[in-house]
Amino acid sequence: MAAAAVLGLVAMELAAAQTPADESRASLPRTADGRPDLSGIWQSFTTANWDILAHSAQAGPHPELLGAWGAGRAAQSIVHGNELPYQPWATAKQKENFANRTLVNVTNDPSRFDTGDRELQCFRAGIPRANYMPYPFQIFQTPDEIIIVYEYKGTYRTIHMDFDSSPPSDTWMGWSNGHWDGDTLVVDVTGFNGYTWFDRAGNFHSDALHVVERWTPLSPYHIRYEATIEDPKVFTRPWTMSFTLYKHIEPEAQLIEFNCVPFVEELMYEPLGLMGK
Amino acid sequence: MRKRGSATPSATTTVVIAAVLGMPAPTLGQGQAPPSALVNPGAEEAVQAARAASLRTSEETFAYFEKDVDAALARAIEGVWDPERPREPSPRTPWGHPDLQGYWISATYTPLERPAELAGKPLYTIPEAIEAFQKAGLVDASVDPATVHYDWTEFGMDNWQSPMWPNRRTALIVDPPDGRIPALTPEGRERWEAQARRDTLQSRHPTERCIVGSEGPPRVPFEQQIGESRIVQTPNYVILITQSNSDVRIIPLDGRPKLPDDIRAWLGVSRGHWEGDTLVIETTNFHEDRTWVRPRGLGGNLRLVERLTRVAEDTLLYEATLTDPTTWEAPWTLEIPWPKMNPPGLFEWACHEHNYGIINVVRGAQIRAEEYEAQSGD
Repeated sequence: MAAAAVLGLVAMELAAAQTPADESRASLPRTADGRPDLSGIWQSFTTANWDILAHSAQAGPHPELLGAWGAGRAAQSIVHGNELPYQPWATAKQKENFANRTLVNVTNDPSRFDTGDRELQCFRAGIPRANYMPYPFQIFQTPDEIIIVYEYKGTYRTIHMDFDSSPPSDTWMGWSNGHWDGDTLVVDVTGFNGYTWFDRAGNFHSDALHVVERWTPLSPYHIRYEATIEDPKVFTRPWTMSFTLYKHIEPEAQLIEFNCVPFVEELMYEPLGLMGK
Repeated sequence: MRKRGSATPSATTTVVIAAVLGMPAPTLGQGQAPPSALVNPGAEEAVQAARAASLRTSEETFAYFEKDVDAALARAIEGVWDPERPREPSPRTPWGHPDLQGYWISATYTPLERPAELAGKPLYTIPEAIEAFQKAGLVDASVDPATVHYDWTEFGMDNWQSPMWPNRRTALIVDPPDGRIPALTPEGRERWEAQARRDTLQSRHPTERCIVGSEGPPRVPFEQQIGESRIVQTPNYVILITQSNSDVRIIPLDGRPKLPDDIRAWLGVSRGHWEGDTLVIETTNFHEDRTWVRPRGLGGNLRLVERLTRVAEDTLLYEATLTDPTTWEAPWTLEIPWPKMNPPGLFEWACHEHNYGIINVVRGAQIRAEEYEAQSGD
């Protein structure tokens, strides 16, 4: 009798030592090689795509046309410290970007990227922005590669696992090499062409951008996403952002094509006189 | 067959090259452009001037690559696609599904429709298939400086420079048995005639506008196309990624229902299931504006059934049945083998971001239209 009581007390003590976080991690789905299985459809709920720093609710461009449709929600900063360590020239450049964020200047060379937010013209979002666009994305996990397909534009990226490859050329989505650090997926991204922005507010980088992502599952349905940004051409030091990714749990969840190219043709090509009546 | 290393092309090659220089642009049986298309009054002069100005004649270009062509043709002969050959059982993924994974090419010299001179002959013998392939390869490797914007052989983009098999089939279309696309319905003919590249951006091909790539669905090859793609599998999904436009198709295997007709997509919405060693993909919900995507005449009502089977370690077999009673009088089916290609595989194709070319394509068409107006106004 006494022994059973003692065993009961010991059992209760062991149960108390497990935190909710431990229980969540113990319940993570895992692949055959013991890694957390991140497969599924995920989405962030920040409005960092509007502005990665803290911002009020605000009217958007052309409120006389779009009213509340075009307005933006408030949000707290996803950038730690709510400050971007721009070099002095870059602070001025970001303000210029903001002033010109809806400017569309379609040329037949890369000068078209000198101004205007890229999302407006249905250009690729790059990394890390693709992960906090207001669209879901789907992770497909195999031992050698993790492929992420973003509903926005159907863009995809390949994370090469445990394979130290270098980018064959500069791209919009960069070149991703990944490895596991315990239950955290660490992804090193380089090889950017420098054309993407971090948000609609004109926060930007150069082709020297280097991103290190850390994807840490908190439960079967939550991932903490953290990215450290380094760009010696634009910033005085590295800085970090983080936010939560939530899993779509409805069984019928799927990405549905968002091909925005047809939606921007008039915007881009009408000023050049290329559209018919 | 020519002597290796000879500086002067043989009689056969000369005939072939002469045929190249003289022959009209090949078509896939889609017919000529409607009469309202643009004219280029100075075309013949421009062609002669380009030939005169070229640093290299077609014969010289061909001789330069002769050794490479011979080696490529010799390699290809080993892999003749023979639909009557018994198939090997498919390798399997760790979870037991047929393994279709890898990088694959859908380049071919076989025409989509059976040429009139081959009517009634659905299959070559193996020696005939090899000879047809070699002839097509020699033509491909001959560069007419007047008709090419740049020399594709320099960029490794000629079909014969990629893994590609000779094919015993004389046409890609296997049904109907005559190897021809069935007749267009009146609605289909109307759509076909409306689809001509004119002097507006909206009239241009969706691939020129970077809305979709050139690899379908369905995958219908055309001249000079090297259709590279990649297949990745997980237990519940197959992903098909094309090089052209970096298009991605996600195909769920879990038996979920189709989406309602209110939802349309340029790449359609796909559902997949296994039948033995074959992945069967049913795709519907095509965008209503998805005209022009090969072949012409297509509308948004297409119901597409594709099949992918690993028939050998280095070959995937692709079959596609197209059904659209608003476009064709009957369904039709094509078959094309996809040889395996080696990594590094696919690269990011940021088509729309860098679509510099569309500006002068449309401006050029506008200039031609003005010239046509001026000419017919006289």
